[in-house]
Amino acid sequence: MAVVKVDKLAQSVAQGPSLMTGAYPNKPWMEVPAVFKPGNYAYPTKADKLEYLNNQQGVSFPNAREWNPEDEDWKLPENWKEIILQGLADRLDRFRSLKIFMDCCVRCGACSDKCHFFLGTGDPKNMPVLRAELLRSVYRNDFTLAGKILGKLAGGREMTVGVLKEWFMYAYQCTECRRCSVFCPYGIDTAEITMMLRELLHLVGIGINWAMEPVANSNRTGNHMGLTPQAFKGNVDFLCEDVENLTGVKVNPTFNRKGAEVLFITPSADVFAEPGIFTCMGYLLLFEAIGLDYTWSTYASEGGNFGLFTSNEMMKKLNAKMYAEAKRLGVKWILGGECGHMWRVIHQYMDTMNGPTDFLEVPKSPITGTVFDNAKSTKMVHISEFTADLIKNGKIKLDPSRNSHIVPTFHDSCNPARAMGLLDEPRYILDHVVEKWYEMPENTIRERTFCCGSGTALNTDEIMELRMRSGLPRANAVKYVHEKHGVNTLGCVCAIDRATLSTLMSYWVPEVEVAGLSELVGNALVIEGEQRQELTEGLRTLV
Amino acid sequence: MAAYEDLAKAIAAKQKQILDIWLERTLNSYRSPGFFIKSQDLFANPVGMQVRSGLAAVFELLCEEANQEAFARPLDQVVRIRAVQDFSASQAVVPFLELKWVVKEVLGADAQSGPLAGQLNEFDCAVERVALMAFDLYCRCREQLYLNRIHELKSGRAMFTDGGCPSRLLDADAQQGADREQ
Repeated sequence: MAVVKVDKLAQSVAQGPSLMTGAYPNKPWMEVPAVFKPGNYAYPTKADKLEYLNNQQGVSFPNAREWNPEDEDWKLPENWKEIILQGLADRLDRFRSLKIFMDCCVRCGACSDKCHFFLGTGDPKNMPVLRAELLRSVYRNDFTLAGKILGKLAGGREMTVGVLKEWFMYAYQCTECRRCSVFCPYGIDTAEITMMLRELLHLVGIGINWAMEPVANSNRTGNHMGLTPQAFKGNVDFLCEDVENLTGVKVNPTFNRKGAEVLFITPSADVFAEPGIFTCMGYLLLFEAIGLDYTWSTYASEGGNFGLFTSNEMMKKLNAKMYAEAKRLGVKWILGGECGHMWRVIHQYMDTMNGPTDFLEVPKSPITGTVFDNAKSTKMVHISEFTADLIKNGKIKLDPSRNSHIVPTFHDSCNPARAMGLLDEPRYILDHVVEKWYEMPENTIRERTFCCGSGTALNTDEIMELRMRSGLPRANAVKYVHEKHGVNTLGCVCAIDRATLSTLMSYWVPEVEVAGLSELVGNALVIEGEQRQELTEGLRTLV
Repeated sequence: MAAYEDLAKAIAAKQKQILDIWLERTLNSYRSPGFFIKSQDLFANPVGMQVRSGLAAVFELLCEEANQEAFARPLDQVVRIRAVQDFSASQAVVPFLELKWVVKEVLGADAQSGPLAGQLNEFDCAVERVALMAFDLYCRCREQLYLNRIHELKSGRAMFTDGGCPSRLLDADAQQGADREQ
């Protein structure tokens, strides 16, 4: 087993007289407490949201209260320690993967310099190995023989309020992007360790509002925004008007229509916020062009599932609504839009949570006849797979010159890339919808893509600095292709990306805009009978 | 007009030594700087490499006694990063002032009392001008951050949380309607 270097990782050396104040402590990591100050933590869950969620069936979110991470007293239940240790015991028992991840790390350090949070902060506790060590040290102390006997000598430490605060700090400085897992020789999924940390924290009422309010809204109305069916339909109708003004093509989507062949589900951000709405206009045009028999749902009106960032039970509950709606409407299969973590839930967890989906059919494109065997189990096809298949079979007409104002690069969104292997379809689409596009450097794309830095509900404005530094590795690669090739657009297939990369670019590479891939498809699409205006900026053109 | 030509030649001759010490001291301001100092991969180590090339460019420009505007780009490269990290304003720009100490350390007695000593004040002044420019850039970066926050709030996504949900607006409408009926 490799020698434990964890203690050394946290020490830096300063020599000579210096104006630098040496603000950073020169101590072993266990002795460096987490200090909360404005800008380095996301706001805690509002009491009424937590109370609402705690009253819902199948989930538990106790200890709703007003509290402030900057205060000494976090208003924890009296027996908080017992709750946490029992919670850990339960999870070690339920999840074999967690037990293995706790035991099998040899601290080889392969993951240590792969995390965008570490690369942006230089904080050793953001090295995936050390972030996991925050939990592992408690596991060792209380759940292993060596730890019970030797304690600190065996790398164990007692669960204290300080440790709990440290968990909160670093479980929310991880976007569960899983880049580190790609480099781990043992395949440890550090994202699952973060997921466990967050679950354990929820047992004593510690969580962030940016995760929990969208979860509460989704549970209540079906989408993050809390849009009612009328508002949701109204927003899509607005986009239909825009599409008609721009292209002369009248699109008539249907909602909650029983007997449609396909149910279409996308992140709700696509129907209300820029630049997602342009992506949505792309979907609408594409479906019109091929005459797809599909319906939207105002109940399953959200692809995103912030339950993934919260707890297993919450993730299961939010995922279930998509399938309940598919069953209710009697569709054959589900087509999913450009979402990130929805696809991780579908590919990694859905089957054992809510499967099998034996009431749906194996997806078959009604236009090309292609059977999507890869989705045999979940019955859900990604819009990029679907579009790439249309292009390959020559079923849509594309004019790349309509995107001549765009010189894109492609950002592999973490979850579609690493959790479902969606690597080549988006590139195939790009090849056909734009005249020229450029890849970012090799170790920043495909499975090794860098996160936007704001995933897992960290896309809130109060931690803007944190987001900018964790997004630096991604922005750095974009800047490189911008300067080398004149790239002006960052294409992606994720709603969180579309929102957060826009802000990230405006800080690091303001010349680059962010666009969903389906927007570029919509720009290039030639539709019979269209009366397209001179769209110098594609679907973004103001007419 | 060259104000410290001889000194510039002397420090240019010791460029590698000066840059190595300067970079290490700058990167030592991070809690775990080993990787930042060691890795030479621009994409695997953006902080280390951007700071490295930024400082090197600033050093070269100082040796050339370049126009003030020429410093903007390499300074931005370093300051933009430090402006979003866990530094106070002074600590974000302090690496530039550190150069004065590094140069004196490397030149040793030559700079303090030798023939170059007369030009040292001019050089120090140039370094300080650079540090002040870095502070201006720092302020612009911070301003950009707050503009980004405002932009996000205005973009509507804040309705996720702070604004409550749009459906509540319908509640208010319904309530008004009910009140009117009464």
